[in-house]
Amino acid sequence: MNKETRFSDEFLNAFVDNQLDPQEKGRAYAEISQDERLNRRVCELRKLHDLVQLAYRDVPAPPARTNTPAARRNRLGFGAAAAVVLAVGIVLGIQVKLPVAVQQQATNNGAPAASTVPATSAAVRVPSQHRAGRAPAASRSVAAVLPTAGPAVPPVAVAIEEPKLPPAGEPRSINDVHIGNVRNKVLIHIAHDDPLRLAQALEEIEGLMRYYRDTRQSAHVEVVINGRGLELVRVDTSVHAAQIARLQMEYDNLTFAACQNTIDRLKREQGITARLLPGVVVTDSGMAEIMRRQHQGWTYLQV
Amino acid sequence: MDIFDFFLRSREAQRALTEARSRLYRVAYSWCHNAALADDLVQDALTKALRKSSQLRDPKARDAWLFSILANCYRDHFRKRRDMDDIDELEISLEETPESESGRSEIIDKVRAAIGRLSQGQRQVVTLVDIEGFSYVEVAQILDVPIGTVMSRLCRARAAMKDMLLPELQQNAAATNRGMLRRVK
Repeated sequence: MNKETRFSDEFLNAFVDNQLDPQEKGRAYAEISQDERLNRRVCELRKLHDLVQLAYRDVPAPPARTNTPAARRNRLGFGAAAAVVLAVGIVLGIQVKLPVAVQQQATNNGAPAASTVPATSAAVRVPSQHRAGRAPAASRSVAAVLPTAGPAVPPVAVAIEEPKLPPAGEPRSINDVHIGNVRNKVLIHIAHDDPLRLAQALEEIEGLMRYYRDTRQSAHVEVVINGRGLELVRVDTSVHAAQIARLQMEYDNLTFAACQNTIDRLKREQGITARLLPGVVVTDSGMAEIMRRQHQGWTYLQV
Repeated sequence: MDIFDFFLRSREAQRALTEARSRLYRVAYSWCHNAALADDLVQDALTKALRKSSQLRDPKARDAWLFSILANCYRDHFRKRRDMDDIDELEISLEETPESESGRSEIIDKVRAAIGRLSQGQRQVVTLVDIEGFSYVEVAQILDVPIGTVMSRLCRARAAMKDMLLPELQQNAAATNRGMLRRVK
């Protein structure tokens, strides 16, 4: 039996994917390395393996979730728990009899009648590290059974809703920015700190926003800032803070997104913790954001 | 304090599942080449996983378990909508962008197009092995098929991709080499 027939395609694939036991692999390696044709076949298979990995390293970001069937089911599933939380929160907070209005609200949400929830003096808090954690796209709930003091009191179902946005003071993620189905989507890339060009860039951005507003065109403009451009949106270095604040106030379809990689690099290399201007969001990587947006059909402009 | 321990454990498990989201999404996207559908499949899979999390006995097998739920969601999706969606007609993102003009992106588009032309079974096997690095045994569990089927599908998938991709890449390489020689002269 010659090597070509003994080393079937299945065997060579298993060799490339590291699925052989060590002894078998050692023997195969010795024989393959001495045979040019086998070597070439193995190289081709490795190349295909690498190409598939490369092709899906960066995939287009999922669209913003709005009202998918799964999301609807989730909301329905947790609706009852949310209603009970509301009732328990009020009971624990003010320790008075449940107002009639709350009873009605809980009943409307499909929860058991609020009057079945007993009053208890136990305080339930969420540990602060959970509150400070990254907020997921959909709100998460935790249901548990709260042990109660009296034997006659039935257990209370408690659900704790995490806040949908990070606490104030922390920059939001670019994923939290909702971009609807707009006609003009423009991405402006700033990666330098030349004061003159930065000033001109902000003027251009303002002119563009005004043009879209005056011509009543639906548009979203995203300014992606990385590298040395980060100075534009850092609290301690920006000379345009007031102008950026005014632009954000005036145009809700304008987003400033700073690159997390640049922020990390600044911390690592210079020990500087970048504090961003209010309203500036962060994106995992400026370059990745640019590529994602281009895949989604955005117009790319570099300042 | 028991109740807080319960919260912590429960949240740890939930966080682990959430972290798996991006990996599930990447594979789901490679199966359907449709960002919205991939996101829905992942959402569905994670919802089911959270609901069934008590069934997971061995944490080491969590990844394979999650991907098997995703594979079931994918199969169910096309079973339910057989009269509406044809798996072979799924849109493959090849839209022209400035970025796609660069050489790297051109290769990516070609590889994705080649993956898109494989049969559903072959596509699932090749992406689970190449993108996620699952062993053949794990892929067999995820897709609920015999290991021999995994090997033969993988073999056929790579043979088809080799025919679709490698001749062109070699031509490109040869053209690049010729260009370099002209510049040397």
